Amino acid sequence: MRVLELAEESGLYCGKLFADMGADVIKIEKPGGDATREIPPFWRDVPDPQGSLFFLYMNTSKRGVTLDISRPEGQALFARLVGTADVLLETFPPGYLESLGLGYAALKVRNPGLVLTSITGFGQTGPCASFKSADIVASALGGAMYVTGAEEDPPVVLAGFQAQVMASAYAAVSSMIALHRRSVDGEGQHVDISMEETMASVTHICGAGKWLDDGIIPRRRGTGLFASVPSGTYPCKDGVVYLMINRPLHWKALAQWIAEVTGNQEVLDPMFEGPSSNRQTYRELLDAYISELTSRLTVSEAYHEGQRRHIAFTPVNTAAAVADDPHLAARDYFVTVEHPQAGTLRYPGAPYRHSATPWRIARPAPRVGEHNEEVYGGELGVSAEGLRDLGERGII
Amino acid sequence: MVEFSAGMAGPWIGRFMAYCGAEVIRVESRKWPDVVRLYVPPWAPEMGTQPQLSPWFTDWNAGKRFVALDLTRPKAIELCKRLAASCDAVVENYSAGVMARLGLGYSDLRSAKTDMILLSTSGYGDSGPCSRYVSWGPNIEALAGIATLSGFPERECTMTQYAYPDVLSAVHGLFALLSALDYRRRTGRGQYINLSQYEATVGVVGHLMMEYLANGHQPPRLGNRSLHAAPHGCYRCKGHDRWCAIAVFGDDQWERFCGVVGRPQWVQHPRFATLSSRLENAEELDRLVEQWTSTRADYEAMAAFQGAGIAAGVVQNTEDQIRRDPQLAARRFFEEIEHVKKGKVVANGIALGLTRTPGRSGRAGAAVGEDNGYVFGEILGMTAAEIQECIELGAIETAAAETAAVGNLS
Repeated sequence: MRVLELAEESGLYCGKLFADMGADVIKIEKPGGDATREIPPFWRDVPDPQGSLFFLYMNTSKRGVTLDISRPEGQALFARLVGTADVLLETFPPGYLESLGLGYAALKVRNPGLVLTSITGFGQTGPCASFKSADIVASALGGAMYVTGAEEDPPVVLAGFQAQVMASAYAAVSSMIALHRRSVDGEGQHVDISMEETMASVTHICGAGKWLDDGIIPRRRGTGLFASVPSGTYPCKDGVVYLMINRPLHWKALAQWIAEVTGNQEVLDPMFEGPSSNRQTYRELLDAYISELTSRLTVSEAYHEGQRRHIAFTPVNTAAAVADDPHLAARDYFVTVEHPQAGTLRYPGAPYRHSATPWRIARPAPRVGEHNEEVYGGELGVSAEGLRDLGERGII
Repeated sequence: MVEFSAGMAGPWIGRFMAYCGAEVIRVESRKWPDVVRLYVPPWAPEMGTQPQLSPWFTDWNAGKRFVALDLTRPKAIELCKRLAASCDAVVENYSAGVMARLGLGYSDLRSAKTDMILLSTSGYGDSGPCSRYVSWGPNIEALAGIATLSGFPERECTMTQYAYPDVLSAVHGLFALLSALDYRRRTGRGQYINLSQYEATVGVVGHLMMEYLANGHQPPRLGNRSLHAAPHGCYRCKGHDRWCAIAVFGDDQWERFCGVVGRPQWVQHPRFATLSSRLENAEELDRLVEQWTSTRADYEAMAAFQGAGIAAGVVQNTEDQIRRDPQLAARRFFEEIEHVKKGKVVANGIALGLTRTPGRSGRAGAAVGEDNGYVFGEILGMTAAEIQECIELGAIETAAAETAAVGNLS
């Protein structure tokens, strides 16, 4: 399977999902390299086109070529590449590819089975299609920020460009579904991903269904979840621990533990039992009972002893704690990747484990134009002289 | 597809599959009901638990078929294997190890169908010292580091109200499953897939983890700021809890931004003229931006910036999205779904953007065991007498007679 990636930030994770599962993803950058190479932070904090940690992470297992598709010769090469591709992933403003004569209708003539996957802020159609977007803007419009963070704080965006990551993940899913459909009738299609819609879908638990049912608009409320009582962070001797109770049996186990440790017998009252909704009016009282328990424990005690009792306690981990978690180590989660410049770096590993077709990082993110010769020369048959000429004129 | 599932992370995979046209059969049990079936309507708590009325039951399970089986009965396990053999894939998110104990582990299922695809998803995955630990989406937000990476510097951790890891795990699980279906189409081989929600969630902040893994330090909490754009934030507008997010990239946009807020002199101001100076003086800059936004309505601010080609968007809540967002309306993002008990309900869309083969949500609000007759009769081809025998053995549980009156539910 071959994926051509002509993408800014919002599409890179999509290409990574395909590439790490073994698809041949050819990343097409502007001559000289894409602007995504300039996204900080950098390896050893030194700005360098091969050193953006964001770029390195998001472009694993891809091959890289450079091409100026705004010029006719670049378009001719691009059209030949499209002829060999299953998926073309792009993040241009709506209408840009059409303006070059490379819109879906034109590409379909060349390759009827092509899946053209477009990721934009607002989608290809509608009154706001030409609007500009960004991760924080899609997170705002999509409903994520309104319900993230502390009650008394302004809305806040999640770290790590999650609107872009999720738009990419939806794009990967849709592309696979379009390919599945193609296997039935041979025809591709245009996949139109809107970052705003992706986020509105991601946040559905705070969405239309709930509001139209109970009339309450979900808002920020710190660490507790509105529908789960109890839930949130609780103080321990050496930090905070996260707890969530949804099942009646889990509540009973927690109440029992509180009674054992603190001597509190009121917590065992049957009126607190059953689904979360039974405890909704007692949220603050129960939080106080739970804090009496957790404040006598370390985070580690609350976590492991709590879990031994089938209660969903979890630590609130820093990046370092995640990197050093013995559970992840036992599963060999982190992997190492060899870089020509940076040497061996540790990377987060597989998001899923396939028994027959395992996820793997086949190569580090490409250097600028690293595979120009391999792709244009080796596959499209451009001569060494032709390549040099294309390079000199800034086509590649 | 057959689904043994609970909560959101498992069921949401089947929800997408059903939306795209797959026949998805959800196996449930009355003895161990899914949390989403324990819904007490807040508008009529006297009705007690209403297994069909949760809006999230619609969000996660619309369009599926429902059977009720008591999985402690050997006959029920036999029926599950027959169901699995009739399907393309099985998805489960029971606690790690439960399926194997029930006799429905991958090797059991493969003996029923040699090219079986099983996707098993759980909080911690199927191995490692914590594999049996209990977790929900928000637990994973805390565990996987995204809560301490996000938010304002003075906050210890920042969390969502939308159980983000459940959602992202379902979407990753779906991609993993579609990859396995593709492989089977090409080779005829099935496989087992294990997904750890913890690991999938670390993956979506993997680029931030790299800062620790490669450079050895915890990434700074940026709140709404960016390391490569300024202004970049969420700015107070007129009204209660009204905000507009704005992101200004590059000097061209900065110049246009200064035009919109009527401060052309800022373009050359030594404290703001370059990106690095704007980043350095972000606090002052944010204060000045907010002076402008706080005297304007949120949608007005958004329109002014977008008119100048600058990324801006209102911090919308669900009511805003339904009532005030012309883009979502024009693209018919929200979907009306037929509900067994409520007539019609409205749900957030699935947003896959498949222009030639758009999906559609089928029936919502079905009861536990609603489709026993169809699934066992038509799919497995069992006779009425055989089904009756399974009911008498306690393997098949009969459909609940949910008779509670449904109040006014517009």
